[in-house]
Amino acid sequence: MRYRVWHRTTYTYDEDVSNSYGLAHVVPRASPTQHVESVDVRIEPTPGDATRDMDYYGNAVTYFQVTSPHRTLVVDATSEVEVVPPVHDPAVLATPWEQARPADRPDVDGAWRAVDFSLPSTLVDQTEQARAYAAESLVPGRPVGEAVTDLMHRIHADFTYDKGATTVTSRIDDVFAQRAGVCQDFAHLTLSCLRSHGLAVAYISGYLATTPAPGRERVVGADASHAWAAVWLPDGSWLALDPTNDQWANDRYVTVARGRDYKDVPPVKGIIYTDAKSSTLDVQVDVAPLV
Amino acid sequence: MTVLRDYAASVTQPSLGQSAALFDEVASPDGTLRTAWKRLAAEAVDLTLPELNRVGGEITRLLGDEAVVYTPPGGEQRSWRLDPVPLVIAADEWAVLEKGLAQRAELLNAIQLDLYGPQELLSRGTLPPSIVFGHSGFLRVVARTRVDHQRQLVITGTDLGRTPTGEWQVLADRAQAPSGIGFAMENRRVLSRVLPVAYREAGLHRLAPFFQALRVSLTQAAPHGRDNPRVVVLSPGPTSETAYDQAFIATTLGFPLVEGSDLVTRDGAVWMRVLGRLERVDVILRRVDADWSDPLELRGESQLGVTGLTEAVRRGSVTVVNGLGSGVLENPALLPFMSAMCEQLLDEPLRLAGVPTVWAGTPEGRDQVIDRLDALDVRRIDPPFEVDLARDALVAAIVAEPYRFVGQERATVSVSPTLDRGILQPHALTLRAFTLRHGSSYRPMIGGLATAAPIGTAPDQVGVSKDVWVLKESPDEPDQGLLDQLPVSQARAPVTQVPRVLDDLFWLGRYAERVEDLLRLAIVTHELAEDFQGRPHSSGGQTLSVVAGTLRSLSPSAYDRADFEGDLRSLLLDARRPGSVAQTVARLKEIAQSVRDQVSPDLFRVFGAMDRARGALAANPHGWQIGESAGRMLTDVLALHGVTGNMVRDEGWHLMEIGRGIERSLQLCHVIGPTLSARRGLDVDRDLHHAVLQASESAITHRRRHRGVVRGASVLDLLLLDETNPRSLLFNLRAIDASLATLPGSSGSTRPERLVDDLLEELDRLDVADLLATEGDHRPNLARFAHATAQHLMRLSDAVGEVHFATGPVPRSLAFSTVGAGA
Repeated sequence: MRYRVWHRTTYTYDEDVSNSYGLAHVVPRASPTQHVESVDVRIEPTPGDATRDMDYYGNAVTYFQVTSPHRTLVVDATSEVEVVPPVHDPAVLATPWEQARPADRPDVDGAWRAVDFSLPSTLVDQTEQARAYAAESLVPGRPVGEAVTDLMHRIHADFTYDKGATTVTSRIDDVFAQRAGVCQDFAHLTLSCLRSHGLAVAYISGYLATTPAPGRERVVGADASHAWAAVWLPDGSWLALDPTNDQWANDRYVTVARGRDYKDVPPVKGIIYTDAKSSTLDVQVDVAPLV
Repeated sequence: MTVLRDYAASVTQPSLGQSAALFDEVASPDGTLRTAWKRLAAEAVDLTLPELNRVGGEITRLLGDEAVVYTPPGGEQRSWRLDPVPLVIAADEWAVLEKGLAQRAELLNAIQLDLYGPQELLSRGTLPPSIVFGHSGFLRVVARTRVDHQRQLVITGTDLGRTPTGEWQVLADRAQAPSGIGFAMENRRVLSRVLPVAYREAGLHRLAPFFQALRVSLTQAAPHGRDNPRVVVLSPGPTSETAYDQAFIATTLGFPLVEGSDLVTRDGAVWMRVLGRLERVDVILRRVDADWSDPLELRGESQLGVTGLTEAVRRGSVTVVNGLGSGVLENPALLPFMSAMCEQLLDEPLRLAGVPTVWAGTPEGRDQVIDRLDALDVRRIDPPFEVDLARDALVAAIVAEPYRFVGQERATVSVSPTLDRGILQPHALTLRAFTLRHGSSYRPMIGGLATAAPIGTAPDQVGVSKDVWVLKESPDEPDQGLLDQLPVSQARAPVTQVPRVLDDLFWLGRYAERVEDLLRLAIVTHELAEDFQGRPHSSGGQTLSVVAGTLRSLSPSAYDRADFEGDLRSLLLDARRPGSVAQTVARLKEIAQSVRDQVSPDLFRVFGAMDRARGALAANPHGWQIGESAGRMLTDVLALHGVTGNMVRDEGWHLMEIGRGIERSLQLCHVIGPTLSARRGLDVDRDLHHAVLQASESAITHRRRHRGVVRGASVLDLLLLDETNPRSLLFNLRAIDASLATLPGSSGSTRPERLVDDLLEELDRLDVADLLATEGDHRPNLARFAHATAQHLMRLSDAVGEVHFATGPVPRSLAFSTVGAGA
């Protein structure tokens, strides 16, 4: 599938901001299943300094500094991508999950690199609760594909999607306490559960192309950024699964960035210099299918 | 017998118990002196105990006078401590250690280059990946730096201990921002003054050439193509643990000492705010921990860093020394892999062994650590290293995250005789050595910083430092082995007048003046109290009550109004009393410490003397001691003006003078308002005139001019309008005006200049007779004038701040853009 993705982040302040620094992860990353055809990132006001680079995890990151006084800051990213459905080797998916711990697989090329995703990260603690919750799916010897899919089903069933339940800095304990959260929380939950058993799991940020209800027009800008998780498999590939929608990622999923958790790849973060008392944030996303 | 020989002889006796098995730095097992000590001159070896104690006292006084301070982690700031007995190391013994240190720095550098580059240590299985990926010092934001020289380690610190057989062994590596080079130099300076002959005769390596080499190395660390590079020392501020060390290095090397707020990034480069313009910075000697160095990409809440620094580093436009990622090298879990890494990266055997360490990150390692929990020191792999958990909680923590822990053999260290409560005691000794990248190789400082503490205690908290004397093989050996000095590129005079420093100097001027004025008023009050405190209704008694009341209006007090002595004592001694002399002096000292690189060390002698005067008052209950101590403190604060009088007449000096002029004018208003704006009868008024003249240091001038006849008009004329009296309002306003005109931000019409002009015009129109006009018992015009002028001066003070050293808002994090929906 081909898509045009548009992602606009707007900050509005009640006083002038004299100096503003930002980092944006808003450009889809290239991969064997995702071809990035064109990219355009515009920042208003025009930054005095802006560069695009690749971060440690291979994501496209935009650094910018706006030095002209402003009350509105817009980061507007448009890109065209082609996504092909991922294909997984059934034999690999059938491997007992215990053999998918990268720290124990020095025989697998690059497994050492995946160890990074098996350790706790800034926002994702490995709690006893998460470990015990995951243990019900990770029964000894169970095929890794089946085990992690079962965990995904259970998270989808046991936790309620609720925008008011958590914040961007919520932790695993909060999510368990609320039994609710948003896609980011469900992704973090998956990471915590599987990592506490030694599996390597990456946090993926991106978009999900939505289909309007029958008979309704597609509403431009009503989509949202999305987050899911990807589990390392013992052939060095990754199985991406979306606990929010209870499915494996397919060609409707556009990947922007991968990291250890949200903190590695927030769409936009920044530091501002201002006397402003308040600021508001507005995000618009549109994922339009192209023919 | 002398004290060191006595000590050596006593070592063979069994009474020393646990220390007997340890290596002794001074005594051989047979009870004679070690070879290195035998070679020292008789002046060192033959010291008697009383002499040694005298030297110890001298050291304490010297360090106190210069306010050499240190703040132990989690503790209160205290005076730096130095033991009179140095650690002495013979040339042949040092030669072995030196090779090991040089190799270690080279190895750490190679490890850093690999971990932030190809990561072959990980891909080839030499180093388990969780040691790196699970360590907080591994900063992924700089792992894509393409400029290799940006990653070179420039300075390393190595903490060493000596095993019972006398082998040096590494306890810990310090690569993030090693501290102590300044303290090492300070130790040497002090010890060479208190033991001049012993020092001169010892034939040891001087440290100064190492500082020259450090200067060259920092300059050469600049990005390619930067001629005459600008180097700054980035400090977390005057309250940091090793603020003295930072200021010492900055001053000695001639590099500006800056804080994060003094720097700004533009176009991916780092700039320093200097007098309203920006100057490019090429090298940052970093003493702020990496985590706190950039709120954009590291800890977002940091106010100590420079926003955008990480990006500037990635672009190679600035070199940070040591690099932001170097904290990864401080991981004690690297120790067991050091030998294998040395073989892989340097292709040579590791020379310097580390303290035996087990990493708990493997199942066998974890079991070993848990099985031997009582025999091992369990530490985390990153700060806070120290683990303070009960046994069960510790086992649970290790089981939960085994890769985050190591177990280390209890560090075996040597003992060294150390002066402790008047006698020599064998204290545990650790040595911090420093190694510098010099040209293309690494060169250890021939010397170092040793710490001695009672066996089994924390050296950070209770330790005392020792100078390290490395003896030369032969007298003609060059100091630090640096025969051919690398060329020092043209030194640039440090321009350090960043807004924060100007702010501090302005307040240095204000507080110093405030202390002086308060003390003068206190002395007048005390003299009146001595004569009249029992006679409240006499004219002198009424005068006393007015003057004491004025003092209370400047520094509110809970004392009974009749307890003049108690009130004055608290004014001088109680640092918690608002506006007191004690509190103002404390604030003054804090500011002096924060601009230590800008001011003469003599300034701190003044504080030492003031502390002694206050100590004398605290120890002596007699009333006369109040006047005595206040008088001595006044002399001291006047000496402070003498010290600042020798400063270069730059912007900082002018702002200090402006601060002083504003404060002096302000205090004048505060005094004349309550004392002179009422009529209290001829005798009281006359006494008050005298008191005001005395408190304003104008009594003698007035007597000479007016032949002892004191009238309100002549007093006010002298204090407000006399253009030759340095205490008068007119004189001070003109001085402020002249100083303002020299500042680069001034145009003749800036707000501070307009405010001064307004006041000067008002004085021009002022009629003293009009001020003295009475309504009943009051002089409303004078009261109004004093009040309005004080308000005006405070606006002036604020305006100077806004125009000349405003730094703008502090950095704030943007709200994170959310990820959501998609249901």
